[in-house]
Amino acid sequence: MRKKVMARIVSVMLVVVLMMTMLTGCRFGFASDPDDPNEEEKKEPIDTSIDTFEYDSSLNGTNITLLNTKAEIQVALEEMGAEYEKKSGIHVEIMPVSDDSPYTKMISLYNSGTPPTIAILDTTDVIALAEEKALDLSGEKWLAEAEGYTTQINGKTYSFPLCIEGRGIIYNKKVIEEALGETFDPESITTLDEFKAFLDRLVDSGIEKPVSMAKEDWSLGAHQLQYIYETYDGTNEGAQKSIEEIKAHRLDLSTYNRMSEFLDIFDVLKEYNVAKGDPLGADYDEMAIDLADGKTAFWFNGNWAWPNLAEAGAEETDEYGFLPYFMNNDKDDFVNQMIQGAPSKQVMVDREIATEKEQAAAKQFLNWIVYSEIGQQMLVKTCNIIPPFKNNPYELSDPLSRDLYEKVHDQKVFSVSVIVPNDHWAVLGAAMQKYLAGRSDRAELMESIQDYWDEQE
Amino acid sequence: MRAKNNGKDFCMFALPGMFCFFAVVIIPFIYGVYLTFTDWNGVATVKNFVGFRNFGGVVKDTQFWTSLLLTFKYVIFVVIIVNVLAFAIAYLLTRGMKGENFFRAGFFTPNLIGGIVLGYIWQFVFSRVFVSIGESTGWKLFEVSWLSDPTNAFIALVVVSVWQLSGYMILIYVAGFMGLSEDVMEAASIDGASGFVKLKSIIMPLMMSSITICLFLTLSRAFMVYDVNLSLTAGAPYGTTEMAAMHVYEKAFTSRQFGVGQSEALILFIIVACISGIQVYLTKRQEVEA
Repeated sequence: MRKKVMARIVSVMLVVVLMMTMLTGCRFGFASDPDDPNEEEKKEPIDTSIDTFEYDSSLNGTNITLLNTKAEIQVALEEMGAEYEKKSGIHVEIMPVSDDSPYTKMISLYNSGTPPTIAILDTTDVIALAEEKALDLSGEKWLAEAEGYTTQINGKTYSFPLCIEGRGIIYNKKVIEEALGETFDPESITTLDEFKAFLDRLVDSGIEKPVSMAKEDWSLGAHQLQYIYETYDGTNEGAQKSIEEIKAHRLDLSTYNRMSEFLDIFDVLKEYNVAKGDPLGADYDEMAIDLADGKTAFWFNGNWAWPNLAEAGAEETDEYGFLPYFMNNDKDDFVNQMIQGAPSKQVMVDREIATEKEQAAAKQFLNWIVYSEIGQQMLVKTCNIIPPFKNNPYELSDPLSRDLYEKVHDQKVFSVSVIVPNDHWAVLGAAMQKYLAGRSDRAELMESIQDYWDEQE
Repeated sequence: MRAKNNGKDFCMFALPGMFCFFAVVIIPFIYGVYLTFTDWNGVATVKNFVGFRNFGGVVKDTQFWTSLLLTFKYVIFVVIIVNVLAFAIAYLLTRGMKGENFFRAGFFTPNLIGGIVLGYIWQFVFSRVFVSIGESTGWKLFEVSWLSDPTNAFIALVVVSVWQLSGYMILIYVAGFMGLSEDVMEAASIDGASGFVKLKSIIMPLMMSSITICLFLTLSRAFMVYDVNLSLTAGAPYGTTEMAAMHVYEKAFTSRQFGVGQSEALILFIIVACISGIQVYLTKRQEVEA
């Protein structure tokens, strides 16, 4: 009897130990999560001595909530909220979205009657919700500072652009220079053929597979494939027109030049992909490590990849930057000269449940971000965001954002916000994965794209 | 007197439970059925009645039928493998071998880990551990990640689900085996039944009640699989491992077609309810008293 009890205790303990090791194992596995909001980062000091912003004292004591869907700035936003409270007396509670998609979270919050006063959302979410729920911000002063970056719905502006994000082919200058033994001028590459020749030179000098390419559907379906709409003529109207034309079968994908040009560069990236043997087995974190370590020299991604690169050992003093997504061999084509950069997160204010006082407090918070010296600094330095506001004079610290910011000022960025249905990235991302894995050809991919648009109302 | 007491007992014991059951199961279910006939998008204040249009959308949604077919395939594999494996292991673990309790606990452990965590652990195993084993040994089987090939990713899903579910079923079968009467076994042996005959004619009929429960549990769990599907493959590669439950979620929340998603959920419910009902009815008929 006693022996049995002992055996039982021992077996229970063993099970517990097994489980503990498993659980801790998984915690270590996720330690490199770039979106980990608890991660400690070194902070840039914020100068709070000068503040010319005028606060409305009647709003003192108001409580507002802010739904944050950009996990990497959770801590930064909390700091901003605290600073704002100190100055204005308005308490801002920052609510993170953890497991749901932002839209799902918004729906459940609205259905439970407790929507956030302010919500940071993706542009498509704002378009879906704005007319029903959002406060009209068309009369706000900051619109003038954000010219070209606002989203209009039936002539009204319902949202505040929070940041600019850009994407292209990220290069690691040091790796390239070490491999070739000469200085690298990113502007020396101007066409797809030149880019291909450059890749061949890298291969000859020892970097066997110089390109990293994410297999994630959001990368393939949204960031890569959307070039076919965005480059129609480089404007918002053009992008929407291209979609309408595809829907109406007036634009035949098999003869549409941007479609074949897009696949031309995609094929080049695919050919030199470091994970060519198993492109769908590629690991996102590993790509950052490969680029930082010099196993690869290029990575198709955006400036949001910086935290991953920093995690992988890249320093802020290293030289990283963007090359355009070379789609053809015409030097004068804007796609070979510019990278794509557009406002990616939009902020909307609730008009349904929030009281007038709360709405006023929310509007003041947005103005504070744009006009107060503290808000401006915190947006750039604490949140590490590229502000879409012309009046913000502060400089960014990470090389990718710096490069993008410089390109914005040198007119080397085309800004197109293409509005596609919410499942575009998922459905066509899958079609792109199939093409990336070599399990479908160009014709089948184009058919999937056409089918997708045919299904939309 | 008696009736009065019954009413009081009912209020005391059944009413709270009934209330919760209605509040979180029956009413949302009826409301859900109602939503299939509207064009509600989750946020709109008005819900327009659209008749059977959402069901028309389901018929047109070929991906749903593909995922449903895949779910059937998955269910067949999982139900058979889990039950055969669990039955066999439970049989071994009730024969008085050394360290029985340890093995029972060990086999049960995977069931204590939530599906999401389990999926991530196995994702790491399939796409990193196996691949590096493949790289260092040159085995073709592990050269590329299983999760990047449609067939292998499906096998991976089945393997992980079997690993997770078996433990629970082992526990139920073990309880069943422990309940077998020694007298009957002995009588069977004296009558000359041995090995397979004993298993087929004595043990199986007596174990039927455990089999009913285990089949029901594995069937419904396998049909409704979502967590492991999401964390292990998330439908990858290119949507080929997207099961019905996951497709329903994607339809409602990613494609934002609430009505169609809700209708698909209803259809999935009816299918699962019918199949489980038939299974319980059929296996119940086989149950015998010792």
